[in-house]
Amino acid sequence: MTTTPISTSDTELPAGPGATASNKTKSPKKSKSSASGHRSPWFGRSLLAPVLAFFIALNVIPTVWMIGLGFYKYTLNLGDPRYVGTDNFTDIFTDQELWGAFSRTLIFMVSAVGIEVSLGAAIGFLFWGSSKMPGRRLALTLMFAPMVMAPIASGQFWKLIYEPSFGVINDLLGKVGVDPISFLTDPDWAFRAVLFVDVWMWTPFMILMTLAALGSVPSAELEAAEIDRLNSFERIRYVIWPNGKFILMLGVLLRTIDAFKTTDLVQTMTEGGPGDSTEFVGFALFRQAFNSLNLGYSSAVALVLLIIAIAFTSIYLYVLNLSRSK
Amino acid sequence: MTATENEATTEESNETLVSRRSLFRGGLGLGAGVALGGVLAACSSGDGSAGGSNGDDPIDVDNVDAEDPLRGSNETNMQGKTVEMGFAVLAGWPPSQAAVELYPEFAKYAKEKFGYTTTVKKTEAGFDKLFQQLAPGLSSGSQENNIMISDSQWLGAFAERDWIVRAEDVYAINPDLDLDPYSSLVRKTYQEYPDGSGTRWGFPQMPDTQGLFMRLDMLEDEANQTAFEEQYGKKLPTTYEEFEPMTMVEYEEIFEFFNRPEEGMHGTAMMYGKDYDSFSCAYHPYAYTTGDIWNPETGEVIGFLNTDDHATALEYFVSLQKYQPPGSEANGIGTMIDLFTEEKVFSAMQWLAVGLAMDGDGKLEGKILAVPHPKFEFPDGSIDVIGAMGGQPWVINKFNDDDHMRVAIDFLRWWYSDDAQAKFEDAGGLPWTADKVNAEGFEDSKYYARAFKEMLGEDKSRDFWHLPQYAELLAIQQEAYNKYAADPDAFDPKRVLDFIAVKQQEILLDNGVTDVAIPDELKDITLE
Amino acid sequence: MTKPMTAPTRRSGKDTAKTAGYYSLLWVVAILFFLPILWIVMAAFKSNTAILNTDYLFTPTLDNIKSVFDRPNVTSQFISSLYLSIGSVILAVAVSFPAAYAFSRWKFAYTDFLMFLLLSTRMVPAAAAIVPMLLMFNLFGLRNPFGFFLLYTSFSIPFSVWILKGFIDGVSERFDETAMVNGASRLHVMFKVVLPQVKPGLVAAFIFNLIFVWNEYLFNFSIGSEGVRNVPYGIANGLVDSGGNVDWGFLAAMSSLYLIVPMLMIFLFQRYLLVGMTFGTVRGDV
Repeated sequence: MTTTPISTSDTELPAGPGATASNKTKSPKKSKSSASGHRSPWFGRSLLAPVLAFFIALNVIPTVWMIGLGFYKYTLNLGDPRYVGTDNFTDIFTDQELWGAFSRTLIFMVSAVGIEVSLGAAIGFLFWGSSKMPGRRLALTLMFAPMVMAPIASGQFWKLIYEPSFGVINDLLGKVGVDPISFLTDPDWAFRAVLFVDVWMWTPFMILMTLAALGSVPSAELEAAEIDRLNSFERIRYVIWPNGKFILMLGVLLRTIDAFKTTDLVQTMTEGGPGDSTEFVGFALFRQAFNSLNLGYSSAVALVLLIIAIAFTSIYLYVLNLSRSK
Repeated sequence: MTATENEATTEESNETLVSRRSLFRGGLGLGAGVALGGVLAACSSGDGSAGGSNGDDPIDVDNVDAEDPLRGSNETNMQGKTVEMGFAVLAGWPPSQAAVELYPEFAKYAKEKFGYTTTVKKTEAGFDKLFQQLAPGLSSGSQENNIMISDSQWLGAFAERDWIVRAEDVYAINPDLDLDPYSSLVRKTYQEYPDGSGTRWGFPQMPDTQGLFMRLDMLEDEANQTAFEEQYGKKLPTTYEEFEPMTMVEYEEIFEFFNRPEEGMHGTAMMYGKDYDSFSCAYHPYAYTTGDIWNPETGEVIGFLNTDDHATALEYFVSLQKYQPPGSEANGIGTMIDLFTEEKVFSAMQWLAVGLAMDGDGKLEGKILAVPHPKFEFPDGSIDVIGAMGGQPWVINKFNDDDHMRVAIDFLRWWYSDDAQAKFEDAGGLPWTADKVNAEGFEDSKYYARAFKEMLGEDKSRDFWHLPQYAELLAIQQEAYNKYAADPDAFDPKRVLDFIAVKQQEILLDNGVTDVAIPDELKDITLE
Repeated sequence: MTKPMTAPTRRSGKDTAKTAGYYSLLWVVAILFFLPILWIVMAAFKSNTAILNTDYLFTPTLDNIKSVFDRPNVTSQFISSLYLSIGSVILAVAVSFPAAYAFSRWKFAYTDFLMFLLLSTRMVPAAAAIVPMLLMFNLFGLRNPFGFFLLYTSFSIPFSVWILKGFIDGVSERFDETAMVNGASRLHVMFKVVLPQVKPGLVAAFIFNLIFVWNEYLFNFSIGSEGVRNVPYGIANGLVDSGGNVDWGFLAAMSSLYLIVPMLMIFLFQRYLLVGMTFGTVRGDV
């Protein structure tokens, strides 16, 4: 059983304005406290320094560099960078393959996240309140295993599991008289087969986030709900959602970003095939950058994708903030 | 600016600096400001032309210093030193791994002969990844890998960037290394860039050609013999001599005969996979029957790759999936081995150099017949075949310091010695020199040696593009071909070829390889 | 069974059979997720032929496990994986804690923006980040363990800061104030007063990022070099055995062995992980 002691629990905390669940990581919560006299802003800034140094060295500089490269034609195996102005960017607009991959990725992202969130939330709810379950810790460990296995290995083995001649699924199907299905090479199946593996890998993550979200619901409020005889829907609407939504939505956000970037999995499972039916934008970009070594063009593509991702996330966070302030 | 850099390229250490500096300009400079970066990058493009001009300038053999590292070691200049060599080899490709495995033998030889100690460490990656693993290091002037395996198509990229030593220069100084090849295919495939220029860059390591592996025990089986005779009114062939002249159409009967899905057995297996060059190499022999896939002289693809004859060939090649296990659209070298050794197929089209692994660790020993690639009817009515070339050369890193360069040359000298070549052949390697391939008993030395020799004959095989743009060109056709193979009913093969030809020619146009514009009616072609 | 204090009422728990059924259902769900991995672990003990023939019953062999240890490259890949992931994540948590504390307590005007910027690093598709990283690493000679140490640290910082800030926000400032009124220094407050209270956050940040770095492949593959190569790289590149085909048994053994560390982590520190993902807002049953 999970008996590891933890020091954070609301009972130990003096009640303070900072301790409300829905008010965590964003927006200044209160005016300067009486202790502000103790703090030198420079000391505070110096605490940020190491993180900022890492951030500037390994995120800002490469990003600026990437933006610059986007204006050059630079293929690693062909020659040195050549300034081409906005050519790369105009090429992007007419790059049908890229937009094909982009729309495919959106469909994949929406389906994957949709399924993972619903399934994850459902299973998370199912596991809620099972703390007395025998072997719960082991069961959860087994369930979380798919998300901690190296995607590169999962992809490779799912390829084998799906294989028509050697795979276990077709072997089992064969036993009930179904003809072998080429899951990863049939254009009708490949997308769904990859989606299935993604769901298998990442639903556990949404289960984890659901459990965490449910864990942030104060017991007292639940007890109050019980006394008030709220029905399940009301309980979710008025007690669980306000407390848990931030964590849950953060989980959705992380999954959305990661699904948008899916690369490892298709690289091992299908190489984007058959044809281009599982070619997602992350993998397409990877192929541009490291198969064709088109560093200039792929930088331009990367910039466009980054802007899309940031725009998307901002809207998302804005909506989340809005719903919080209501 | 350009002039000074031209001079600088003759000094290796300077070259490293230069290319680092150029990266700095091409990178940080860009970041600082795109407009400024433009000026800077224009300067740094001098590097590229410096590399190019280097290639036209043959080495002056009479004035080569006695200590020139390209001579290799002599009795004195390496005494007592210790050198760790970096080898870049193909993962899971025994012939390429053999060099690393045999390295201790070379170390012993070097110790005795030149008095230095040497060890090896390897970088390895699969066919589709090795070049991409090497390029970043080379672009920074790294000598992390002193000797590298290059797939034949990569030669252009290595050479164009001036990342490797010209074999021509090494041969000029060391004529003993310039061995006589069995056929001109060796030079054309593993050494020459640009095609037809006569300038050699690579050192042949492992030659390879295509063949068909069949289950001899199934062919010889009495019941099969009788049944086949009954069904087709002719004898089921069993020998190399009987199979050798057969065309693919004739083979079809045999594939059909052994195609028994209900028993878990299929007639054959071929590569239709999207990975690396699986589909391309398997399909090219069908296309070569009616012409090449591009025009190396003018750089044109349109009108060569997408002829009606090629469309028929493509359609035919894909139609052969009917004799194969499902999922053939993912087939590559590895799948061929698994399907064949696990006895799921009667036959498999495969690289002959893989013969070592096709017997499933001895499980099928003596039960396999390997023959040359099936033939086709050529437009002039003759029956013949032009296979695709496989195999790889060595290339030597240009950024090697003097000691590493000497050891690299010493290694090549040792590698091409009879002693080392014999060990290489024992480890599954195949020879490429005239005297070794013609040697008595070679054809019987391995069950696939005879077919290999046949396909290495003059004009029996052909390699495609050594262009630096190969990766992009290949990716385009692999994807389109694979798309067609996965759903042949949804596409017109001619349109598939049109699409590939247009996309490839666009790349060649962009890079100045060709100046033939794309016809208007094909310009906006899509493959949907 | 008595009802867990915070559990929803629908499981009133008076009916033992019902509870048993409920727990069995949970177990079935967990095992369903684990089945494919079980298949992989089984493959680690099968011969290649048994794997390809989808044998359900087989004579276990240890050959695959042995072959993992027979390959010198693989051993060094395991070692790289260990020190790169553990080292960089520890460093990341170590620099993230002061930053999170500063974000939480100083409430700079630009906190929200910076926090968003940090998270935005996750949005960059890996392949996009690799290109400039490659040029930069080439330029500064960073394609070595040191460079990757820094790289993986930078991967792990954003999430660590987010989790830790959540936890530190949950520790009332009255603790700080009381301690400082009593003459404690700011550093003392940070490390002696606040740090012990956010331990679940530290552990969660550690595990969460460790798993990510542990399985990192694209950067390692694209810009790594000798000495940086980790096991995912090895899995991708060592897929093929000496014969040119995929050595499934070896691959299964290597993948299974590699899974032990993260599985142990989530088993041993599961409660921390669950509590950690609440961002310090736990006040119920996880």
